Amino acid sequence: MRIGLLSFAHHHSQAYLERLQSIPRVAWIGAADDDAGRGRRLSQAGGAQFFSSFEDLLGQKLDGVIVCAETARRRRAVEMAAAAGVPVLCEVPLATTAADARAMVDACQRAGVALAPAFPLRFSPAIRSFKQDLDAGKLGRPLAFNATNCTAPPLEQRAWYADKALSGGGALAGNAAHLVDLLRWLLGEEAAEVYARTNHIFAGGAYPVESAALEMITFASGVFASLDLSWSRSELASPWSGLKVEMVSERGSILAHALHENVEHFAALDTSGCWLPLGGDLNQAMLAEFTGAIAASRPPAVSGLDGLRAVEVMEAAYHSVEEGQPVEVLRY
Amino acid sequence: MRVGILGAGFMGKAHLAGWAETGAEIVGLASRTASGAAPLAAQYGAEAFPDLESLLPLVDIVDICTPTHLHYAMTLQAIRAGRHVVCEKPLARTTEQARHMLQAARAAGVRLLPAHVVRFFPQYVNARNQVMAGEIGKPGVIRLLRGFYRPKKPVGNWFLDEEKSGGILMDLMIHDYDYARWIAGEVESVYARKITGYWPEAPVEYGLAILKHRSGALTHAAGAWAYPPPAFRTSLEIFGEGGLLAADAGNDAPVNDLLDMPPAEAPDIGLPVTEQMEDPYTVQIQELYTAILEGRDCRVTAADGLAAVQIAEAAEQSARSGQAIVLDLLPEVTGDAEVEK
Repeated sequence: MRIGLLSFAHHHSQAYLERLQSIPRVAWIGAADDDAGRGRRLSQAGGAQFFSSFEDLLGQKLDGVIVCAETARRRRAVEMAAAAGVPVLCEVPLATTAADARAMVDACQRAGVALAPAFPLRFSPAIRSFKQDLDAGKLGRPLAFNATNCTAPPLEQRAWYADKALSGGGALAGNAAHLVDLLRWLLGEEAAEVYARTNHIFAGGAYPVESAALEMITFASGVFASLDLSWSRSELASPWSGLKVEMVSERGSILAHALHENVEHFAALDTSGCWLPLGGDLNQAMLAEFTGAIAASRPPAVSGLDGLRAVEVMEAAYHSVEEGQPVEVLRY
Repeated sequence: MRVGILGAGFMGKAHLAGWAETGAEIVGLASRTASGAAPLAAQYGAEAFPDLESLLPLVDIVDICTPTHLHYAMTLQAIRAGRHVVCEKPLARTTEQARHMLQAARAAGVRLLPAHVVRFFPQYVNARNQVMAGEIGKPGVIRLLRGFYRPKKPVGNWFLDEEKSGGILMDLMIHDYDYARWIAGEVESVYARKITGYWPEAPVEYGLAILKHRSGALTHAAGAWAYPPPAFRTSLEIFGEGGLLAADAGNDAPVNDLLDMPPAEAPDIGLPVTEQMEDPYTVQIQELYTAILEGRDCRVTAADGLAAVQIAEAAEQSARSGQAIVLDLLPEVTGDAEVEK
């Protein structure tokens, strides 16, 4: 299988490249990047053949493409992939506007190619097991959620996350989609209304985008969920350690601190700790599923529509921030 | 000074134990459910009284530990008699009532102090000291959680009678609105939801509130009556520009009891127990008493009690209306309300 990586703008791209190398069915990897210097450097480091344009890469008889461009540039990349007839795995949020996300879904539908949003949480064994129990009625009827997806500011890695024109916003744009998708998936229903508040306090207000964001989503059935998306954690914390979900059901409460199985390691002479993650790698599982679906000519587990729904909620959230009141989620 | 406690329920008992550690003379305990009052009063060398009126002439301080909806009338009655008042949270059921209480106390020249005991819990105090010392810079996000099981009471369960108690968004979560304000200052707007808001007969209750402070800080408060007895959890996280403070009373408790306790054995209401040398309830009563006795400032004021009621009322209103509620500026809170003399 021949896989192309469109842009290294998103910092996950490096991890994706590394994981792809260990998927047996992937025989060849190519990469392209608007930032040629970055593209060459990271292609070489990751064992991918570098191409100087998206067009060149898409001409390489690819079986699948992974889009890691800046958020505002994902639409163009996905439309190009669709035009080339290549299925796409696209970083989230799919786009900075719901209209763009809708256009991406439509383009792929028309071209008859799959569009899969990159939601690695769907591949967490702990979360999948939780959903199984939930669906089987073992946990009782879900009534409310208290969820966080707090991270360190990703700006050390890529400055564009703080450029609203490219990112669509700060902490909310960067962190909400994964939780929104998780909640939609667990509940099997759509968000009806969103309330959101943000501030710019962390890092002394240095970022032009919001660095703290709290959302409250109300679903059609009345179930409500709060989401904390803030850039409030330290770089020293383990990946995904800021992901916590408390679900309250008629039977009580379950607190999931997913992906928290780590061994904490502090070297004796080193004051900073590091984390040695245990358990499977979610990116690996997600990429394996994407490439597996291509190989088997079946639709991927997560659809373009799921990606679009998350963008709709994000858009409503930003409107709510402006208006100071909850806003109805509009469907495209 | 002489003190009389009003209410022989769980809070009355906790306060009595606190007063016994002060130099105050415990004169009496007044309760309508007099059967519980007499033996309890005797334990402290005090008398049982059937009502506030009979107790009033004999005391200098009244400590009100009755259900929320009774605070207003009882406080005004005590103030009219020229007595100082300590009053359990919430200070009153409504902002209007709390404002009248403040104004009456000022006019009469007596002290009115709300018993917001979380301000006396070591983790909460310690965290605030760190914030005030600048250890984490300006607070950006505050996350607070307080969770117990559904309180059980005999017939006439006033906790569950929202008109009287204000429901979870007031009765339980007011602790955290007060604490959030103590950390990050005045609150500008409130948005809240609770389970019984859309399913009144739900077997569990959970409330979530998002507070926006005038400073820009955001507070996320969660309240639960949803855990199995006798579980309780309280936690705080304060995220600042330069660091994070976190304390989790469920996990940090010296002994974590995961034993299954039959409901009959579970205490009436969940109250966090601490292994600290000093019981926070006792420290609280001691500080409130000293403040009254010596005419001194205290870490909490009547204006704080009023501000917390205002936030709580707004949270209830938000959950009912589905809208975010913007708080009016209250002169009693924003003015020179630091010292109640």
